[in-house]
Amino acid sequence: MRRALLAITGLAASTTALVVFKGSPGATQVAQNLPSAQPVNPTPQDVDPSADPPVEPVAGAPTPSVAPGTPSSPKPSKITARPAGTRTTTKAPSAPRTTTKAPQPTNRRVTGPGVDNEYGYVQVQIVVSGNRIVDAVALSLPSGGESDIHSDDVSGRYDGTGGEVVQKQSANVNTVSGATETSNSYKQSLRGAIEQAF
Amino acid sequence: MTRSHTHAAGRRTGASSRHGGRSAAPVPLQIPARRGPGGRRLLGVLLLVGLLASVLPWWLGTPAGSLRSTAATVTAAGRISGLIAGYLLLVQVLMMSRLPVLERWIGGEQVARWHRDVGATLLVAVLAHLSLILVGYADLRNQSILAEVGTLLGDYEDMVSAFVATGIMMLVGFSSIRGIRRALPYELWHLLHLSSYLILLLGFGHQFTHGAQLYKPGPVRTGWIALYLLVVAALLWGRVLAPLAFNLRYRLQVADVVAESPDTISIYLTGERLGRLTMLGGQYFRWRFLARGCWWQSHPFSVSAAGNGRWLRLTVKVVGAHTADLRDLEPGTRVWAAGPSGTFTAAHRVRERALLIAGGSGITPIRAMLEELPPGAALIYRARTPADVLLSRELDWLAQERDTSVWYVIGSRDDPGPRQLMSPDGLRQLVPDVARRDVYLCGPPGLVDQSVRALRRAGVPRRQIHLATFEL
Repeated sequence: MRRALLAITGLAASTTALVVFKGSPGATQVAQNLPSAQPVNPTPQDVDPSADPPVEPVAGAPTPSVAPGTPSSPKPSKITARPAGTRTTTKAPSAPRTTTKAPQPTNRRVTGPGVDNEYGYVQVQIVVSGNRIVDAVALSLPSGGESDIHSDDVSGRYDGTGGEVVQKQSANVNTVSGATETSNSYKQSLRGAIEQAF
Repeated sequence: MTRSHTHAAGRRTGASSRHGGRSAAPVPLQIPARRGPGGRRLLGVLLLVGLLASVLPWWLGTPAGSLRSTAATVTAAGRISGLIAGYLLLVQVLMMSRLPVLERWIGGEQVARWHRDVGATLLVAVLAHLSLILVGYADLRNQSILAEVGTLLGDYEDMVSAFVATGIMMLVGFSSIRGIRRALPYELWHLLHLSSYLILLLGFGHQFTHGAQLYKPGPVRTGWIALYLLVVAALLWGRVLAPLAFNLRYRLQVADVVAESPDTISIYLTGERLGRLTMLGGQYFRWRFLARGCWWQSHPFSVSAAGNGRWLRLTVKVVGAHTADLRDLEPGTRVWAAGPSGTFTAAHRVRERALLIAGGSGITPIRAMLEELPPGAALIYRARTPADVLLSRELDWLAQERDTSVWYVIGSRDDPGPRQLMSPDGLRQLVPDVARRDVYLCGPPGLVDQSVRALRRAGVPRRQIHLATFEL
């Protein structure tokens, strides 16, 4: 029994150590990433003063204007993904796509290329106002099993008017832990969309 | 079945008996070569390497600094404990596969001890995996833990069976806690333990449908499946094929049952090709007597005479219904044996000389071992009454032939004589070089515990103390 206690203690300690090892460089990386993220923000503001007015309503404006498609699109993908983990979510993008041409000319919607990875299909759409990304939506993300959680995690971090894509104004976003592949595919599609848009 | 018959069956009597008691020409001393701890250490290292290898995919697949949120950290810890638990489950089943290599390298008693320790660790690892993943996922999804349980059970493939497997494992684990185990009937406990094979089956699916490291096809997934196949192959080999080959080869059957004392019997077995049976004195087999009322039970008993190529003998104290039935075995009854196992042998000595301490019917493996120990051994035989002394004439012959001193210590544990003797000072007086001897102990738990304490205080290192315990 003494050996069992030793083994349990040892394993618990080494698990903690592993997690801490993997977690601790994060602190330094965050610190490196943050300054690089800040200079990104001022540039579009400096370069294109005309884009300044839309900057203020960024938080609210696109949401009501693009109301039919945008806010609802991430949610269906979550809901359809949960039951039984089927891979039918790829149909979700069709809804927002139809709305692409409808809204006002000030907001352009650009859809990135679809990217296949081991877990599924990733496609990102951004909303560009002037020279600025004001919204990002993953039209499709891998689903099924654990992928649901990772996809939720990825879209939770990157998507939306307050997401990391809008904050950083570039495809240079942090990889989501446990969802490296999906994050990379997201970035690839996002990069494509940004190239098309600007 | 008289007493004199019993003793005539001893090996070096010079008298002849029915079962191979040829007149004894002076048999050259056969001392088995030492089996060092090399095999055990090698296996220990292999298992540790396997443990590291099973966590390695997680380490490689997780970018440094990616665990920023609490949920991610908790989920990562859950994943690591899941990989550890998956690996330990395989080790646990492997330990019980009775693979001949394991019996040889570690020995039956040690394997059982490892099994118990790995089992406790496994249970904790599985519970840690379950709770960490639940907390982590619940946090990721922003819902309560109970709701998360519902989501996992409802929406995730293979998760119901994984939960069932955990339930079985908890049941098996708790029923094996010593106190609880003693309170349960053996058959119930055994049935519960047999159901652990279901854990292997039920826990299999969810590792591959949801395991972050095993989800995608690749070397990791293939390796994990290969490990499973390996363990199943080991089970098949150790539990089915090896015993089948053994029993078809040696075809053991009961030759005679004789009384050694009012409550002790010896069962003599014969068979074919016994000259080629490699077995060490002090080892045990699991015996299944294929007679009415007995065939469904398998019990471990030591062989009470070293291998002689002609017959085997086990000496059994009648304590329960099963052992009582053994008295009525007919000659010719077929016997299914699995073994030999055990490290309670002369081959596992670490010093030149030995001290043997036997209590009551615990003499049986020691009697067999006496034939193989180097000369100069000492034997202390504790018995409550003179009638409880078994095989005493054989012991005397062996003592003479192998230059062994034998002390019979008769009396209750609380009598002054035995009490004085079984103290550190008493042992040192009797055997002045006790600290430099291997000590082999076999007897009732009270005697064993008391002796181990006295021996440790008399300065005998732990690795020189050998215990013959089937029970955990």
